[in-house]
Amino acid sequence: MNIFKYEFKTKLKSMITWSLSIYAVILIFMSLYQNFAEQTSLMAEMMASFPRELLIAFGMEDMDWSTILGFYGLAFVFVQICLGIQAANYGFGLVSLEETEWTADFLLSRPVSRRQIMTSKLLAAVTALGLTEIFIWIASLVYLIIFRGDELIPLEPMLLLLFSLPLFQLFFLTVGMLVSLLVKRVRSVTPLSMGLVFGLYTLNAFGDMIGEDSFEILSPFQHFEPSYIVKYNSWNMPQVTIGLVISLLALAASYWLYGRRNIASAV
Amino acid sequence: MNIFLRELRANFKSLLIWCGIVILFSVVGYSKFSAYYNNPELLAVVDAMPEAMIKAFDMDSFNLTTVTGFYGIMINYVALMLSIAAAMWGSDVVAKEERDRTVEFALTLPVRRSRLISAKLAAVFVNCMLLLFVSWATIIVMAQNYAPDTQFYNFVSTSLWAFFFMQMIFLALGIFLGAVLKQHKRAGSLAVSILLAAYFASILTEVSDKVSFLRYFTPFKYFDAQLMLREARLEGGFALLSLLIVAVALAGAYIAYSKRDLYI
Amino acid sequence: MELGKANKTDAVRDANKSIIEVSHLTKYYGKSRGIVDISFNVVEGEIFGFIGPNGAGKSTTIRLFMSLIYPTSGQAKIFGKDCIKYGPEIRQEIGYLPSEVFYYEGMKVRDLLKYSASFYKKDCTKRINELASLMELELDRRIDDLSYGNKKKVGIVQGLLHQPKLIVLDEPTAGLDPLMQHNFFNLIREENKRGATVFFSSHILSEVQRLCSRVAIIKEGKIMRIQDIKTLQRENYKKVRIVAENLDPRRFEVAGVANLEKVDGTLSFFFKGDINLMARLISESRVTDATIEDLSLEEIFMHYYK
Repeated sequence: MNIFKYEFKTKLKSMITWSLSIYAVILIFMSLYQNFAEQTSLMAEMMASFPRELLIAFGMEDMDWSTILGFYGLAFVFVQICLGIQAANYGFGLVSLEETEWTADFLLSRPVSRRQIMTSKLLAAVTALGLTEIFIWIASLVYLIIFRGDELIPLEPMLLLLFSLPLFQLFFLTVGMLVSLLVKRVRSVTPLSMGLVFGLYTLNAFGDMIGEDSFEILSPFQHFEPSYIVKYNSWNMPQVTIGLVISLLALAASYWLYGRRNIASAV
Repeated sequence: MNIFLRELRANFKSLLIWCGIVILFSVVGYSKFSAYYNNPELLAVVDAMPEAMIKAFDMDSFNLTTVTGFYGIMINYVALMLSIAAAMWGSDVVAKEERDRTVEFALTLPVRRSRLISAKLAAVFVNCMLLLFVSWATIIVMAQNYAPDTQFYNFVSTSLWAFFFMQMIFLALGIFLGAVLKQHKRAGSLAVSILLAAYFASILTEVSDKVSFLRYFTPFKYFDAQLMLREARLEGGFALLSLLIVAVALAGAYIAYSKRDLYI
Repeated sequence: MELGKANKTDAVRDANKSIIEVSHLTKYYGKSRGIVDISFNVVEGEIFGFIGPNGAGKSTTIRLFMSLIYPTSGQAKIFGKDCIKYGPEIRQEIGYLPSEVFYYEGMKVRDLLKYSASFYKKDCTKRINELASLMELELDRRIDDLSYGNKKKVGIVQGLLHQPKLIVLDEPTAGLDPLMQHNFFNLIREENKRGATVFFSSHILSEVQRLCSRVAIIKEGKIMRIQDIKTLQRENYKKVRIVAENLDPRRFEVAGVANLEKVDGTLSFFFKGDINLMARLISESRVTDATIEDLSLEEIFMHYYK
């Protein structure tokens, strides 16, 4: 489809940039593992002997620093932030960019329905995000293997971790899109995606430090928290479902809103 | 003066939103903290720990049963929020003239370009200070329930300086990017990237001592929380480094903007 | 040859078939009025003018046709189908030339035209090249680098490359130099001869006068009048100018005369009435020069502005 081809082309550069940047992040981080392991092996032993309440108080009860996968989990949160921003950028700008750049008059006066436009754009975004994810999967697997030393890496939690990324990004894509359709004009995407991603990140990270609470249920950083996945060798299904439901609702609402939207003119 | 006032007004909504975020964050944080405050079980555990262990893990500093320890944790997130706000405001305030195509209006007025930058800088600076003030007020006010002591107040006051320097760094950086980049749309995303990189670097320094040199590259690590807590002071060297960065960035912004061709 | 009238030998043409049917169309932007209860028809093969001052509702009407915005009430049908419900379908045969042209960053002219053509179920390559050479448009330049007038040319080619049955023009000639305007109008006339219906919105009345057979005058969201041009001119005043020595203006102050002005030796006024009476009055004065002509659409229009 012509719209899909054009939309995907516009995302090519950002996709490559994000992929390479996160690749570098994973590489650098993992390369420090041996050094980190040495420093903390002592600490890990000590922590094992602590009373549980203390660990909880310092938000350390779920952290497993003694394995490479646990270490990867630390980097993973940062990877999630980056991927969240990428997906939020795509989401906030997907349809709003046409109106910001005034090209909406051109596109919407072609013989296509709003639904077709939306679907093409979504497919292009999902494809770009998907390719980024695949690249990260490869990078992660490669460097986990290279830097593991003698450790054996448990396959299942690792795969669960990696495969959580698509749903994670879907959340930001759809929610970003919905918000962009609720406002009259999106002049700049960056502050919005930063706000959404870091807001949800802080909501979760802060909560972790201090203890569980109700707010974080809204945050994908909570739904796909790496320390949980690694420790329990599964996804937190109730939370993942919540995230998925939010994403699908946002998606449906976006289609509906875009279909009814009045497009303002440049003059 | 009129440019300054106009920018203040234009950014007002954004300021309100950020203040709201900071207040919300404090409310949530403090409410959780209340579960740990003076929690007898936790206190008992900490009491029972050997002295050496307490020192090793810095438990006296970041003792979650006291409001001072709690703030030690909060401080990182407040720093992050204030820095993001500063970076966003800085990069947006200059780049928006080209983005919104008001360049033909604003820059053909009988004002020098440097005055335009000064007015805009002043406006976003005021925003940052107001946000800082609101953060401070919220933290102090909500701490009243938890028996704050002198150490707490000193800690908070010192941290305000840290926040100030960090805000200035990211603000100046944002303005620099907005003024220098021909592709003005990149200013915001580049500011974000730099902030992300700095944040990542700060995580790295905590993970491994091999990369401690990174400390110089990330404002998030210029000011040590422990030092602020225990001795209520900042490291002078890093304060100077911050000022240096700010000066260079702003100088660059002024020079570049005055010499550039402006396109729409 | 009469302007805008279909070539009667073309068997495909049906002068009674309405291409555009607007009935009680209303659009409010919140509280401010866009257009209120407008109704009119545009018949196949005609060149229909839509004129009004700024803010009258011309662009609103056009944007409703293109389902860029949705009506508060009422309906518009094109090719017999509702504009909103059958939007994508009818747009296969509509060419839209907007007043302001904005295109995607970084695209070359050729890329944009090819992208536009890809939406239509026809092969438009030949037509693109024809139009581009006619409008003297360089296909391999970046759109961002073009001047405003050249961008307008892109808009023109983009609107016509699929040989649409209905051409909707919104202030199409703003930014074009006179030669290009001339080419453009010839182009429109050619399209019209080929069978296309044209909906022409403008406030440059001289153009509308040149091209259109019928006009609707819109003001403050309401249709003031729909009429064909000839009747509009005929029903209105004649413009009279008389040059003579020792002219006594009072002689011409008869019923049907308006805006009487004397500047030096020239007397000018508007006159509506028995032309013989005027002829007699003129012959009774020793005039050196006399002009009687139709009011231009501009002058008629000024009447409706007030």
